[in-house]
Amino acid sequence: MENKQIIGLFVHNHPGVLLRVTSLISRRGFNIDSLTVSPAGVEGYSRMTIRINGDDDQVDQFVNQIMKIVDVKKAEVIPEKNSVASELILIKVSTVGNNNNDILAVTSKYHASLMNIGEKSMTFRADGSPDEIDTLVSELDAFGILEMARTGIAALENGDKTLNK
Amino acid sequence: MKLNGSEIIAECLLEQGVDTVFGYPGGAVLNIYDALYKYSDRITHVLSAHEQGAAHAADGYARTTGKCGVVIATSGPGATNLITGIATAYMDSIPMVAITGNVTNDLLARDSFQEVDICGISLPVTKHNFIVKNVKDLANVIRKAFRIAMSGRKGPVLIDIPKDVTGAVYEFEPMKPEPVVNPVFSELKDFVDAAAIISASERPMIYMGGGVVSSGAEKELLAFAEKLDCPVATSVMGLGGFPASHRLFMGTIGMHGGYETGKATDNCDLIITVGARFSDRVAGDRNKFGKDAKIIQLDIDRAEINKNVKIDAYLLGDLKDTLSTLTDSIEKTEHTEWNAQLSEWAKKGTVTETPKSENYAHPYHIIEAVRALTKDSDIIVTDVGQHQMWVSQKYRFEEPRTWCTSGGLGTMGYGLGASVGAATAHPDRTVVLFTGDGSFHMNLNELATVCSYDLPIKIIVLNNTVLGMVRQWQKLFYGRRFSQTDPHRKTDFVKLAEAFGVKGMRINNDDDAEEVLKEAFSDRKAVVIDCRISPDENVLPMIPPGKTVDEMITEME
Repeated sequence: MENKQIIGLFVHNHPGVLLRVTSLISRRGFNIDSLTVSPAGVEGYSRMTIRINGDDDQVDQFVNQIMKIVDVKKAEVIPEKNSVASELILIKVSTVGNNNNDILAVTSKYHASLMNIGEKSMTFRADGSPDEIDTLVSELDAFGILEMARTGIAALENGDKTLNK
Repeated sequence: MKLNGSEIIAECLLEQGVDTVFGYPGGAVLNIYDALYKYSDRITHVLSAHEQGAAHAADGYARTTGKCGVVIATSGPGATNLITGIATAYMDSIPMVAITGNVTNDLLARDSFQEVDICGISLPVTKHNFIVKNVKDLANVIRKAFRIAMSGRKGPVLIDIPKDVTGAVYEFEPMKPEPVVNPVFSELKDFVDAAAIISASERPMIYMGGGVVSSGAEKELLAFAEKLDCPVATSVMGLGGFPASHRLFMGTIGMHGGYETGKATDNCDLIITVGARFSDRVAGDRNKFGKDAKIIQLDIDRAEINKNVKIDAYLLGDLKDTLSTLTDSIEKTEHTEWNAQLSEWAKKGTVTETPKSENYAHPYHIIEAVRALTKDSDIIVTDVGQHQMWVSQKYRFEEPRTWCTSGGLGTMGYGLGASVGAATAHPDRTVVLFTGDGSFHMNLNELATVCSYDLPIKIIVLNNTVLGMVRQWQKLFYGRRFSQTDPHRKTDFVKLAEAFGVKGMRINNDDDAEEVLKEAFSDRKAVVIDCRISPDENVLPMIPPGKTVDEMITEME
């Protein structure tokens, strides 16, 4: 059974910290589908958000292994149901043989903004939960997707709790 | 005071109580070696024949002292040659600080001469590593490196220092190192829960590992085992952490462990795991390991809990603390019937030895003869292979930190370097290296070091002329197709020893053994003893990989 969980990491912003995290993911054989890094809003720290495929034991092992990296200050599971989780997508859809209004009907459902119109394509920007983005992509697939880029997931737990307290 | 980077390194080593380092000079560490020259009255540097030997020496030094081993190597090949030694230490949680030079900052990332990204290369085999690009960070990085190496689950840390940093001058302020304190993470309730599981058990056993030695918790473990009247099995790494002569000691557990420990694992109702990690060499089939037992695990590393085997309860923290609190939480118990049952199995599990031969000595006989000549505090080092397993089965270890072996990584060629480290640390004790002809061939260059420093290491080459352990597997699992395990070498180990300036001796059969060994152990000189054993001697019993004691092999051929 596929089980995806989000893990938030609060890490020292040292050179190589991304390599340490990704190297561990690779050598311990963890299966991830998204990893983002950004400033954490606290001087000297970065925040990583990782979405991992695995059961509870695997996620537990993942957090415990990640916590052994000296530069990782904190690692916690962010329960997807109790969090704001979002990612951004840029997607270029083919207009050849398609009615533009059909495409726009789909994109407007997802509040995707039209960013650029080419001779044979339209490029949209949308944000939303990974599930929403997945559905948008599958609906647009019918028209022909020429290219797309997703930022990967960013997530904050609901309520007042913070990772970097 | 104003010091250059290399003097700062020396001062920081002294701060940490380091008086001995191992290493090999080179272009990128010229500044550091210049400082070592200046500090030679306070820091002894042991020069190896090869950087790998120096890394193993730092490891042997750390294992036998409990202190942090220090090794220094130059950039590029010097640094890469350390990697096997660092990985060996990493797998066995041995504290080590490796200092490598690198090319100057302005030459970094330009594929300069002898430049290598040693931080990238060493990343998966170190607890942490640093590259120090500015001399102002140097002292604090070194302090941090020692702290990381020695705290929690110990391990190697690498510091890579560009050459200009070791020459740059900066203000140095001495600082006393803070003592390493490992907190107990478990709460009182966890101890109460564990104690309840223990008191409900009728057939408990302790499975101990290297963590007991690493945390210096031998006394605490002994008190716990005695109060619970609980038999003790050990991983190969844990040898010495519990006295072999104790009535509760069963010996090693796992692939070449005794029948008794295997039966105990399958028939007990509780396994109390102390500083061990259920490696595949212990829990061959991790889904069946202790299948009818509850498992309690005491460890310092949270990531070891539920990693290989599912745990019922765990206690997290330094074993000295968790064990003594747990001992206070349990009632004094007796398990007379259970211990009697184990003794029965122990008798049943005795392996029949091969008949005496004129042409060969028997490894068990040699090991026992050596044991008769050594004190409990003497140090035994091995390489990797059959000889290592025979020693782990037969040598009766009574004291912690008298045992150096590459348990996790299984590094052939580890032994001679590690012996150099052990002998340097303990000039008052006898250091014995048991090696095989295969392992010895790998790094016998360190005989030069043994001779240079006049280290009285007794090197016993259990010479079966073949790569015995691999050959044994070929016999069992590959239809006796002996692919590349019979190298047909003509090396004369006696002459070889003499060429290096070390005494050489030979044992042809069991009748020779006592006399030759007695002479070899009669002085404080190094000796290489070529001990001829049969190429067909096997390590038994053996639980095949992935199997349990039910499929234990007790006879071959």
